[in-house]
Amino acid sequence: MEKSNWILSDVLGAIWVAVTYLFLYIPIFVLVVFSFNNAKFPYRWVGFTFKWYEELFVSSEIWAATQNSFFVGILAVFFSLFFSLLFVIWVSRSKKRKLFALFYPNLIVPEVVVSVGLLSLFVFLHVPLGLMSLVVTHTLLGMGYAIPIIQARYDALDYRIVEASLDLGATFSQTIVKIIIPALKPALISAALLVFIISLDDFILAFFCAGTSAQTLSLYIFAMIRTGVSPVVNALATLMLVVSSLLVFVFCSLQSRTRMW
Amino acid sequence: MDREELSEPLSFFWGIPALVWQVLFFYVPLSFLISTSFVKYSQDLESSRVTFEYYLDLFRPVYGYIIGRSILLALTTVVVCFCIAYPVAYFLVLRTQRWKTLSFSLLVLPFWTNFLLLVYSWYFLLENDGLLNTLLLKIGLISSPLHIMNTKIAVYCGMFYCYLPFMLLPLYSTFTRLNPKLIEASQDLGATYWQTFFRITFPLTIPGIQTGALLVFVPAFGEFVIPALLGGDKNMYIGSVISHYFLTVRKVGLGSAFTCLCALILVGGLLAGALVTKLYSGRGRYGEK
Repeated sequence: MEKSNWILSDVLGAIWVAVTYLFLYIPIFVLVVFSFNNAKFPYRWVGFTFKWYEELFVSSEIWAATQNSFFVGILAVFFSLFFSLLFVIWVSRSKKRKLFALFYPNLIVPEVVVSVGLLSLFVFLHVPLGLMSLVVTHTLLGMGYAIPIIQARYDALDYRIVEASLDLGATFSQTIVKIIIPALKPALISAALLVFIISLDDFILAFFCAGTSAQTLSLYIFAMIRTGVSPVVNALATLMLVVSSLLVFVFCSLQSRTRMW
Repeated sequence: MDREELSEPLSFFWGIPALVWQVLFFYVPLSFLISTSFVKYSQDLESSRVTFEYYLDLFRPVYGYIIGRSILLALTTVVVCFCIAYPVAYFLVLRTQRWKTLSFSLLVLPFWTNFLLLVYSWYFLLENDGLLNTLLLKIGLISSPLHIMNTKIAVYCGMFYCYLPFMLLPLYSTFTRLNPKLIEASQDLGATYWQTFFRITFPLTIPGIQTGALLVFVPAFGEFVIPALLGGDKNMYIGSVISHYFLTVRKVGLGSAFTCLCALILVGGLLAGALVTKLYSGRGRYGEK
């Protein structure tokens, strides 16, 4: 009797899992399929074409937006990882662990609230809005994710190795470069990927704080969807899916060594 | 180098960049937002004064409807995502042995895809000549296309779809931390299927449920991309109102007051949620691996 309960639940569970994967992937699949659709009005299948990809590759606007997004993303990754690493090492050595709590609200306060706060402050102080204000806000958001990830790995570090290095005559900066950073590498890579993806994905902060001149990929996609849908967006989506699949592959193979959540 | 030097704290300068950044670009703007909601600015700073009029302006039924609608949207999203995600995480982690990396990667992928593209993909399903209508017309269930785009139904579909990964991932990781031997032990000691579930499995996964609910509820409450793209102009949610005040009509005072009010409601809701789960799980937690 009990045995049959388990079998029944396994069958229902398998069906449920399959349905959920279909729910997750049917929209994505349709999106990709329609990037090859030979029609301007995009909801009905007409025929096969590559022309939207050609249009995508010659569009200077999209490439400018992509460059901007990568510029912001890379700088945000660099700053947030650098600041987080210094901060984690400092806090762990000086036993002021309560300071970590200062960064929790980054993940809890809704982005809309943070962005209107930043927007009104920037406007009040006449700070010019643009790509640099985006770097500032994405670094802030990134630290909220990077600090817990790096901290978890740092806490798991065998501190005797650090002591050994110092005992054997290495200076503290040598120890950081040769011992601590290599030991933290999986966490640093995970954090970098995550911050980069979050920056690339961010729409709300960009919408409020980028001003009128700076265009990122998310802002561009939003404008395209709002003003007039074109299959070029589908082609762009397909390319971005390929890139994020690669990143997910890297991330998941790291996951087997470090846990993020 | 001796032992004393090892435990000696590092210079404060190490922590400064992160702290300064955090205070300058997070705490200062938030305080500024709160203060602008109480100040009526005039041309010269001298005659600016403290005021409560923005908050008094908010005592109108229309704001109540908007906030209520947003709370309903966020709560429904949490509940539906939980109902979809919990069995999936349970079966993928505890009841399957093979293809784990692949199934996990496929769960993560939508989370790493641009949010706007996920929303956009629903255009192809829900439009009048989209996939859903085409299928239903072919089967013969309907004789004319359903108008789903630009309605609340479309907003809800988009919300469930976009927020599902935020619920799935924390649940998945709690299940991986759960010790399967506890379930075996409970079986061996004669518990039925449902007894095992309600007394062992479910209580042990409460932390994951909390994280998932938090990760879904907070952004869903302030969401304005999905209503803007799938909901048309009729249905306002708090995110749309905030962006309207700050970007379209530039009534910063009223906008700040509305934002602060919503943040206050959110904090209150989160505290209430934390209290409820604390009371529920206060009956003792045991056996985490």
